[in-house]
Amino acid sequence: MAEATHNLKVQPPPRELEREPLVLNGRSLGWISDRVAGIIEGPTPKWWWAAFVPSVLVMTLCFTMIAYLISTGIGVWGLNQPVGWAWDITNFVFWIGIGHAGTLISAILFLLRQKWRTSINRAAEAMTLFAVACAGIFPMIHVGRIWFAWWLFPIPNSNSIWPQFRSPLLWDVFAVSTYGTVSLLFWYVGLIPDLATMRDRATTRARKFLYGLFALGWTGANRHWSNYEKAYLILAGVSTPLVLSVHSIVSFDFAVSQVPGWHTTIFPPYFVAGAIFSGFGMVLTLLIPLRKVCRLEDVITLRHIELMGKVILATGSIVGYAYGMEFFIAWYGGNPYERYAFENRAFGPYWWSYWIMITCNVVTPHLFWFKWVRRNMVVVFIISIFVNIGMWFERFVIIVTSLHRDYLPSSWGYFMPSPVDILTFVGSFGLFFTLFLLFMRFLPMVAISEVKGVTPQADPHHPLGGAKEGHH
Amino acid sequence: MEGERLPKLFRLSPMKTIPPPCPEPEVGPKYWRSLDQLAETPEFNEWVEREFPAGASEFTDPVSRRNFVKIMSASFLLMGVAGLTGCRRPEEHILPFTRLPEGYVHGVAQFYATARPSRGSAIPLLVKSNDGRPSKIEGNPQFSGGRGGTDGYTQASILNLYDPDRAMRCARNGNQVSREEAFQELQSVVAQFSANGGQGLSFLLEPSSSPSRARLQAVIAAKFPQATWHSFDPVDLDVHAQIASNAAGQPVMPVFHFDKARRILSLDCDFLGTEQDSFVAIKGFSRGRKIENAGNELNRLYSVEALFTITGGAADHRLPVLPSQVAGVAARVAMEILKGQSPGLQKVADGYKGEEKWITECAKDLLAAGKNALVVAGQRQPEVVHLIAHTINQALGSVGETVTFIPAPAPLKGNLQDLAKTLSSGQTKAVVILGANPAYSAPANLDFAVQLKKASHVVRLGYYEDETFAVTTLHFPEAHFLETWGDGRTGDGTLVSIQPLIEPLFGGISDLEILARIAGMNSFRPYDVVRDTLKGLVPEGDFEASWKKFIHDGVLENSAPKPVAVQISAEKLNNAVAQFAPPQSAGGDQYEIVFHRDYSVDDGRYNNNGWLQETPDPITKIVWENAFLVSPKTAQALSLSLAAGRDPEDYKNNDIGVVKGHDVVELEIGGRKITGPVWIQPGLADQTIALALGYGRTRTGRVGAGAGYNAYLLRTSESPHFAVGAKVTKTGKIVRVVSTQEHGAMEGRPIIREANLEQYRKKTDFARNMDIDAHAPNAGPIYKHPYDSNPELKSKVHQWGMAVDLSSCVGCNACVIACQAENNVPIVGKDQVNRGREMHWLRIDRYFAGDVNRPQIAHQPMMCQHCENAPCESVCPVNATVHDEEGLNIMAYNRCVGTRYCSNNCAWKVRRFNFFDYNKRPNAYAKMDGSLMPGPLYKGPLAKREPLEYDLIKMAKNPDVTVRMRGVMEKCTFCIQRIEGAKISQKVKAGASGDVQVPEGTFTTACAQVCPAEAIVFGNILDENSQVQQLKKRDRNYEVLGFLDTKPRTTYLARIRNPNHAMPDFTESPLTMEEYIKGHNPSPFEAHGSGAHGTSAQPARAPSKGGH
Repeated sequence: MAEATHNLKVQPPPRELEREPLVLNGRSLGWISDRVAGIIEGPTPKWWWAAFVPSVLVMTLCFTMIAYLISTGIGVWGLNQPVGWAWDITNFVFWIGIGHAGTLISAILFLLRQKWRTSINRAAEAMTLFAVACAGIFPMIHVGRIWFAWWLFPIPNSNSIWPQFRSPLLWDVFAVSTYGTVSLLFWYVGLIPDLATMRDRATTRARKFLYGLFALGWTGANRHWSNYEKAYLILAGVSTPLVLSVHSIVSFDFAVSQVPGWHTTIFPPYFVAGAIFSGFGMVLTLLIPLRKVCRLEDVITLRHIELMGKVILATGSIVGYAYGMEFFIAWYGGNPYERYAFENRAFGPYWWSYWIMITCNVVTPHLFWFKWVRRNMVVVFIISIFVNIGMWFERFVIIVTSLHRDYLPSSWGYFMPSPVDILTFVGSFGLFFTLFLLFMRFLPMVAISEVKGVTPQADPHHPLGGAKEGHH
Repeated sequence: MEGERLPKLFRLSPMKTIPPPCPEPEVGPKYWRSLDQLAETPEFNEWVEREFPAGASEFTDPVSRRNFVKIMSASFLLMGVAGLTGCRRPEEHILPFTRLPEGYVHGVAQFYATARPSRGSAIPLLVKSNDGRPSKIEGNPQFSGGRGGTDGYTQASILNLYDPDRAMRCARNGNQVSREEAFQELQSVVAQFSANGGQGLSFLLEPSSSPSRARLQAVIAAKFPQATWHSFDPVDLDVHAQIASNAAGQPVMPVFHFDKARRILSLDCDFLGTEQDSFVAIKGFSRGRKIENAGNELNRLYSVEALFTITGGAADHRLPVLPSQVAGVAARVAMEILKGQSPGLQKVADGYKGEEKWITECAKDLLAAGKNALVVAGQRQPEVVHLIAHTINQALGSVGETVTFIPAPAPLKGNLQDLAKTLSSGQTKAVVILGANPAYSAPANLDFAVQLKKASHVVRLGYYEDETFAVTTLHFPEAHFLETWGDGRTGDGTLVSIQPLIEPLFGGISDLEILARIAGMNSFRPYDVVRDTLKGLVPEGDFEASWKKFIHDGVLENSAPKPVAVQISAEKLNNAVAQFAPPQSAGGDQYEIVFHRDYSVDDGRYNNNGWLQETPDPITKIVWENAFLVSPKTAQALSLSLAAGRDPEDYKNNDIGVVKGHDVVELEIGGRKITGPVWIQPGLADQTIALALGYGRTRTGRVGAGAGYNAYLLRTSESPHFAVGAKVTKTGKIVRVVSTQEHGAMEGRPIIREANLEQYRKKTDFARNMDIDAHAPNAGPIYKHPYDSNPELKSKVHQWGMAVDLSSCVGCNACVIACQAENNVPIVGKDQVNRGREMHWLRIDRYFAGDVNRPQIAHQPMMCQHCENAPCESVCPVNATVHDEEGLNIMAYNRCVGTRYCSNNCAWKVRRFNFFDYNKRPNAYAKMDGSLMPGPLYKGPLAKREPLEYDLIKMAKNPDVTVRMRGVMEKCTFCIQRIEGAKISQKVKAGASGDVQVPEGTFTTACAQVCPAEAIVFGNILDENSQVQQLKKRDRNYEVLGFLDTKPRTTYLARIRNPNHAMPDFTESPLTMEEYIKGHNPSPFEAHGSGAHGTSAQPARAPSKGGH
């Protein structure tokens, strides 16, 4: 049988119909294992230290600022009356938005059978988790009395006081914690086969023990695979609505209020699109340098980058449409307060932030209409940075420009960040990068088993299939 | 109706009980401190001398509980004498009350009548005392002029009592000495002059209305006939009496009856703000602005002024002119009215060229009003302007109607210039200064501090160790008026009593005691002095009864002198006109400086009062400092960086300054210079620079240090009020001047709704016609009102509500400070205000409308609206802000975690967040150091406030109100502590009858109580008799942002202006209304389709119907 197949001459499809392979240069399955595991098993590269030490320092800065904040009071930030939220919630929404790409890639693209997801989903999911961790900090520390923040949870107590279930902030607590938990589970379940690979390859007792512990006794038996696939599918199904719900609920923080500029029904879809937009932006920001330094160009290929560019183009267009629609409704709705809020956004004291947002989120993504742009790593990297900046400013514009001038002109004010605001935000990047660098040094940053699954060799009907050479 | 409300206010207070007759005869005023006192042992005398003075001067340790209880119980003894607790005299104070003072219930506040001496007047008060410490000042409702209202200075004066920086020791040449030593020295100083009849002895006094002080002065004058007496006050409100006396040929004082005046012309007279007893004037003036229905008439106010004052803000017509030209305007008006009876006036009238029509039409209107007209001249203006005003009043027949003259004590002969002369020449060997701070506030040309050093003895009684302290040889700490006995007369001459509520905290001494010691009285205790004075003032009879009633009521009934007939002689006016040298007018690069009393710190005496420092100026909204105010045109002429390339309309909005900062300039006049920032003030007269007094202190407490710029450095005795010929040089520096309101234009929004009287008559419900949804009658809410869906949650007994009559409000700030005092609202400091974090629960929004050179001002008190459908409540994740069954929006501080979401979702932005532990932050942190970090590094819980400062400030707190910690949100509660107190009292009273509804007039909120204009009215909207329900039924009643359908319980009554058709600056609508209509809104005076005010929509909007 095998003989027959071997002799069968398969006509290659015409060149224009040929799909770019997901793993380039016909790399063997063994090569994939070696290359990905090599990042962990090899000596610690100098660049890693060069990135890790500053990250830890910046993270320390973040925690120092938080300690100062908690010991002294929210006043160390630049918040005021009327701007009760500014960088704190901007950062929260920014990070939680970034956290959308991972689960979208892992869950929705999985359900849609988008095989290209495999080489980026692990890193993207890890990014999600760390972004959610960064996001979780801000709403927690932004409250005036952090030591009572647990009152937001429905914990039975002797006073029978429950949280207020009508408040979107409470919904946030549930939405974000659910999302964080499910994302973590999903990520961990996906890691199990690779953890077993790492265990099997381990040369030291400690590694053997730790990877073995977390591999949960994975042997690669058919039953394991069968259970694993089911679990993964279920988790993907559970995660999918969460991708949509989390940012919808985050948008309710604004949409449910009565502040002109916040009180709009367009927010849930617009926020979700923006979140995916920013998430992919951050994935690109991380993976473009990583594929280079980890020599993963054959696994995370130009095709992957290009596809992500297309997602950015699509979601960026949705976001741009939403910006336009907000203005249209503000004019068409006839509410003078609403109309003023949007005029003020574009031409008021914070005009610069609005136009930074428009430039980064609406103008630059349209460069991705050009294929050469999508395939030029330097340009894509720069655009991905623009997307990150633009999406931070989008949240800043929504939050600060709406709050600083609302109904009564007598209470109009101006917000300026304090150094503590800035350093806390910068510090959160330290936390993010520290966690990410630890992740890539200790866990396989590409899903080895899944990538192998989408190589031609994994297809028993493929000329190279059937695992005839190399090993798992 | 309005008048009846207040006398009932204190129905529940113990004040109303007439003291019971004494079971055993009293033996004089003695209150024992111990049995030793009876023995009069030398040890006892030593102890008496040491106990408070030395103890107090060594009182640098915190006001420990033990010390405090000691002081407190001593105070009870005083009160016992005051007649309240009967005549029993508890003996030595023992820490636990084994025998309670009669009538004392622990935790229940008591009210005592007293008064605050204010310049040449006194403000009758009812002061709340909590367990022996005074905590809140209210106006005495027994005083007909005030009816319970007071002013901001009075409200804040209680904080001075607990000022940790007040003088606490007797000092010789700046070094502490014991109290007896100091008194001995005083005696020896005085003794030097007993031989020569006081030759070389001088007294420098602040104006006072105290009969006791006058009596002691007379005694001293008899003893030292050669001694000289000098009166000094940087803001001399005594000029009214002096000029009137001069013109009438007898010592008289004018009393203005603004309530009777139908047409008022103010000649640079800020009678609603910085003149004598402004709260009485506001009361009277606002009476004439009350409008119930279209048939009512309103008074009309014309204001001629250089500054933009709150009087100008309340005016129907305002003419900005240079201060030196006010005389010209006055003379022009007089010529119109006198019709050539005083031909010499032309010379004065030449001083003003400009709005002829404004003047002639104004004069016509005054003439038409006849005896109902009133012309008042401001204290800054020269004698000729006052005389013109009196002459006009006389010609119109107003004398005896809108202005009366009452006999007044003859003013002191000498002034500060005379004293400076005698000091300089060495004639004056010793000076006794009572109260004043001349080293700081004397005209700069006198070099007074240097002159004082020439005297061999400078004895001074001062409240602070201030600039003058530095040049005194002997300094006594002055007692607060709540610590001592005294008396005074109100602006209408009514005799009032001052009784202490607490033993002097730091051994303060009253001016009466110093004078009594100098006079060598038998007893120099102020108590005896005041009693003895009263003996001469009341008719023969039961003196004890009169005394007790006097102390108990706080005012002596029918003690106001009868007005006397006065003839203002034309000759005096002619003389004044003849002497009048037309001032050289400002022009080109010559500017005219106006020195004015500050709305916050007065002449500097409240410089160390944090509440007042943080009270926004009613017009500029600047806090914590003064600035050089200039008009927009002048700013452009000076080519200030703020003014460059700006649409002049932007000057209404200080938010340019928030971003760009304010230019620092050097102001020079007559070789004297000061530097400070320029603030562009719309509506100020061009070429004028307004400069508030009272800031830039070199030696003051930790609150006032470093605040503002010292205007006195430019002030001379020749031109103390305004000076022509100032030059301005830019320094190129930029600083930020801090204000609480950054945007001054209303942007055409219907927030303050105004109409002219005629428009109102045409369409009385115009205000509701300005609602956004007035044109969409069927647009109703999708969701049911919470009270409709759960009617069982709504109380049928009480539903609280408030109505604010914008027609009456003049923006005087009294409510802001009353709220601060009542509700333990902390001050946050300049730096924090700069960051937009002021904590005032009640603020007064000020909007400019119209042309930036001649804008109109509208004020609006803004506090929690207590929405029935509150947007803050639904977003709080922890249920910290909830609704109660009586319609209050409740804030549970304990439950608040501080997400600030409620504040974001509040459309009125009335919620205030504790960004820091403001109550624990040391005052020194209140400064602005210009760094990016929020103030000097605050170490959070690790930082320690100086114990003395901290503990003293704690004593000023209202024990019925929680002191909030950092991280929690707070806001106006409608004074829930007062509501609950009244409800409890009513329940006790009701007993089994079940009549638990608190009757109207039993209590009210702090802001409503203090409001002299009675613009704020609070009450139960379910009560058919309640005034608030009546007001809410009026057609002027509207909700701010009512279209949000939150159903605010605080509603506003639209302001009605009463301009004169014939005036050149007449506009069809008030300028805010013009801006509203210009903003593409339909005129609210035209009827809409029948649907616009369909019967279905209207009752739903009227909160009078049981709350929604």
